[in-house]
Amino acid sequence: MIEFKGVSKTYSGSKEPVVKDLSFEIPDGDICVLVGPSGCGKTTSMRMVNRLIEPTNGEILIDGQKNTSMSGTQLRRKIGYAIQQTGLFPHRTIGENVGTVPGLLGWDKERTTKRVNDLLDMVGLAPDQYRDRYPAELSGGQQQRVGVARALAADPPIMLMDEPFGAVDPITRESLQQEFLRIQEDIKKTIVFVTHDIDEAIKMGDKIAILKEGGVLAQYDTPENILADPGSDFVSSFVGTDRVLKRLSLLQVRDMDLDPVNGNSDNLPQIDERLTLRDALSEIIGTGADKGLVVGGGNGSPQGTLSIEAIRALSNRETTDRETTGG
Amino acid sequence: MDSSEDPPTAILALFQSEFAPEQKGLIDWGWLSDHLTSDILPALWEHIILCAVSVGIAVVISVPLGILCARYRRLYPPVTAITGFFYTIPSFSMFTILLFVIGFSVGKTPAIIALVLYSLLVLIRNVVTGLDSVPPETKDAARGMGLTDRQILLRVELPLALPVIVAGMRIAIVTVIGIAVIGAYIGAGGLGELIFDGITRDFPTLYLTGAVLSTLLAVTIDLLLVRTERLLSPWARRARGAN
Amino acid sequence: MQDFIQVFQRPDFIKNFFVHIEMSALSVLFGILIAIPVAILVNRSDAASTFAINVGNIGRAVPSLAILVIIFPITGLGVDTAVIALTALAIPPILINAIVGLRQVNAQTLDAAKGMGLSGRQILTGIQVPIAAPIIFAGIRTSAVQVVASATLATFIGGGGLGDYIVEGFQRNSTAISLAGALSVAVLAIVTEVGFGGLQRAFTPKGLRIAAKRGK
Repeated sequence: MIEFKGVSKTYSGSKEPVVKDLSFEIPDGDICVLVGPSGCGKTTSMRMVNRLIEPTNGEILIDGQKNTSMSGTQLRRKIGYAIQQTGLFPHRTIGENVGTVPGLLGWDKERTTKRVNDLLDMVGLAPDQYRDRYPAELSGGQQQRVGVARALAADPPIMLMDEPFGAVDPITRESLQQEFLRIQEDIKKTIVFVTHDIDEAIKMGDKIAILKEGGVLAQYDTPENILADPGSDFVSSFVGTDRVLKRLSLLQVRDMDLDPVNGNSDNLPQIDERLTLRDALSEIIGTGADKGLVVGGGNGSPQGTLSIEAIRALSNRETTDRETTGG
Repeated sequence: MDSSEDPPTAILALFQSEFAPEQKGLIDWGWLSDHLTSDILPALWEHIILCAVSVGIAVVISVPLGILCARYRRLYPPVTAITGFFYTIPSFSMFTILLFVIGFSVGKTPAIIALVLYSLLVLIRNVVTGLDSVPPETKDAARGMGLTDRQILLRVELPLALPVIVAGMRIAIVTVIGIAVIGAYIGAGGLGELIFDGITRDFPTLYLTGAVLSTLLAVTIDLLLVRTERLLSPWARRARGAN
Repeated sequence: MQDFIQVFQRPDFIKNFFVHIEMSALSVLFGILIAIPVAILVNRSDAASTFAINVGNIGRAVPSLAILVIIFPITGLGVDTAVIALTALAIPPILINAIVGLRQVNAQTLDAAKGMGLSGRQILTGIQVPIAAPIIFAGIRTSAVQVVASATLATFIGGGGLGDYIVEGFQRNSTAISLAGALSVAVLAIVTEVGFGGLQRAFTPKGLRIAAKRGK
């Protein structure tokens, strides 16, 4: 668990703080996304966890211990660190890059090699092909994968990721995000993830911390709650006026209660059950129909139908639930 | 005019009164003030002219050649190899070869030839680099606006390349000042002559003056040209200021 | 032609040849031993780096003969003086290149290194110096060629070396002797340039060579 307790940062010579009295907790195994406009102090906050920047006030506790209880260098060897431009060492091979922290921790060669191979496999790069290559030989997307592998190398319980998928095109980014979420299902790290992109935050985060300019915490909650119930005008506008649709992208078709198939379903658009509700809605509207035939079950067989009405009812119900239970 | 009245002599007279008659050391200030206008300053002037002429000739050769190399890239490697070869040959050797092999007689001519050859590498390289540094978009926009190739060269490329070219000129001039000192050995005159003369006559005042003056000349020109380089690129300066 | 070859067969030729090489090698070595620690020291501070580069630039402007002539009244004639003067000439190119080389290491690479838990010393020796190595070597190469050339002038302050033959040739009006000196120095300079070029390539980490080829 990572705890921010009243953390502030003001640079000397500056009157305004970059981070102001930040307090929140990140439970073990959660991805907490720090998101906000530029100047909101999200990267600064992240870098205070591994003490690349020291707070002017307040403290950060990791599993109950102050992160100042050991030297900065020792602390960082226990925290994975992946940044936007990757910062891969150009003069070392991929294998050497990934094996950096294990080397610092004194792992023996065999253990390191095995770990490197496992990690490269995990991020989708065949070890025998890539281990002895150099960063300059890899594409942007491949370099980002190596960056993630390198951060995971010593199996740290905590990871800091600063726009790790930012430097690639949107298509590559999407696939990297998916893969990372899949990996996280297995490894369950506690992750502080920084991005400026609210959509990425919603997609990746178990919890989102929205920061305002000047380093003030505007809202800290799950993506669903933030979308359903923005805490302020700032959050509302930051999240975007399409937040209802955004909420729909949090659910998949197969999570819904489907209507039975009755009557002729030949003219209905086919909807894969793994699509998000948002994408399903888009498909159905696009064909001019008012419902779609859901297929899936591993073999593409019909599972039921999904109507636009049902989707709308869901949105309304959620909002109403929110209001009556005081959300 | 009475020689004790012109400013340089007056200043030296001041030094003289400070140090003489206890002054037994290296420099005979009296001699210096006496020979300032007859020997020292003419040598300085001769040196400056020698260098200016050499670099001038080198620039006249290098700029067109550099433009050609920037356009027709295949020329660049051989040109670099040849000028690089000349640059690597030690100056003293070069002078000797020019005299004994090519058969020049002592004097300014072989010196100027050597100085020109030494300057070519730096100048050509900086012309090419300078032209390379002009953003392609800028040239494209110019072409799009209807400028001819020649106009683009004169109004867009060369001005933008100027800071880098001047940087090259700075290196060339400073290098040439140093080599010209050695050139005095083969009769080129200048500050080096004070040095060689002084060594032959075992007269420290003379050779130290030559050494110090040539150093001061080189360093001063270097600093002046650095200042000029910065002034020449106000757009880069403002960008730096914005950062 | 006969006379020309005879010069190389003189007993003092080998001696002067080696004196020339020793003078040069020693000066470059001292230059490295002084310039590189200074570059590492000023690396932390922008202001100090800039100052050191400025000093280096001024040093580069100083004419080689001038340095020899200014120093020898203080330390006397001979090889030792020559080495002192040549060392002063050797320092600026190495210093400037070392400072610039260490500074141009990608800031993101350094941030990643620090964030991963490398200590300051590990970053310097493991990351900065290897990445800066090609540039530093270029500086050493420039310095070496310059020193070999300037060592020719050591003859004027009694330092010996191959310049002796050039001067002797002038004094005795002998083309053969002068050329023997001039050509030997020229060849030595060219060999130094090419040799250090090879060393530079050898010391460039493979990953950087690949990156350069791909224009990254």
